[in-house]
Amino acid sequence: MMDELRELYQEVILDHGKDPRNFRKVENANCEATGYNPLCGDRLVVTLCVDENGMVQDAAFTGNGCAISMASASMMTEIVRGRTRAEAEDLFQRFHEMCTTDEDIDFTDDEDVERLMVLSGVRQFPVRVKCATLPWHTMEAALRGESEASTER
Amino acid sequence: MEKSTWAALPAKFEAGTPPIAQAIGLGAALEYVSGIGLEGIAAHEIDLLNYATQQLSSIDGLRIIGTAPNKTSVISFTMDGAHPHDISTIIDQSGVCVRAGHHCAQPLMERMGVPATTRASFGMYNTREEADTLVAALGNVREIFN
Repeated sequence: MMDELRELYQEVILDHGKDPRNFRKVENANCEATGYNPLCGDRLVVTLCVDENGMVQDAAFTGNGCAISMASASMMTEIVRGRTRAEAEDLFQRFHEMCTTDEDIDFTDDEDVERLMVLSGVRQFPVRVKCATLPWHTMEAALRGESEASTER
Repeated sequence: MEKSTWAALPAKFEAGTPPIAQAIGLGAALEYVSGIGLEGIAAHEIDLLNYATQQLSSIDGLRIIGTAPNKTSVISFTMDGAHPHDISTIIDQSGVCVRAGHHCAQPLMERMGVPATTRASFGMYNTREEADTLVAALGNVREIFN
């Protein structure tokens, strides 16, 4: 029993959950969206600064949620910085697959991305998948110029 | 369709199959509850509420939300450093089912400045041992979120 829970709540997740990185608003943000999961009450705001070449210069978030959503948002803001819009969206697709399918997604081609594997424990806890994906849905909405993302749409 | 004819009351308002199974079920439930007695059920629930309140109060960093004198046998609480959704996932592994989050009471929660709580509800079918199981399971939460 504790094994599965330890798999879900790995040290990295607990660390990011307790002390989230980029927990702020990007000052010169030109993309912003609010993500909301009406079923659990999680709400977070993702702000991004994307330059004229489509490169994410800065990414940050604010909000309140469980350790999984805080950790996922924290790691996401670290990892998308320095990536293009298209790369960020592609990353979300792969991350989403990792959280929802049983197939092993190979992330080993990118060290930063490989770190996201620690969140794959949510597979064993289907009701927690949305905790991990909400920040990403919100970032995608922000990149597309939408102001809101909901898990129930 | 050229015309309609109506049955006499109350049948004209009862189109389709009446809820026969539900009516029989309600009868069985009423018989069951009155066989035990409402007073006995209330006494059992109050005992569980008092017992669980006392046990939960011994956990460090646990705060019970709602302490009105005649409240019903539900206990909402928060724990320092652990979000209710994480708490519920962890204690679920010990077979303890609780509700977690805003409980569809967002305006009140916002007013009180409590984003989310964990809520255990006790009924006539629960036991003191199950309250102990809840307390022990919360120990796992502490172990993970130390």
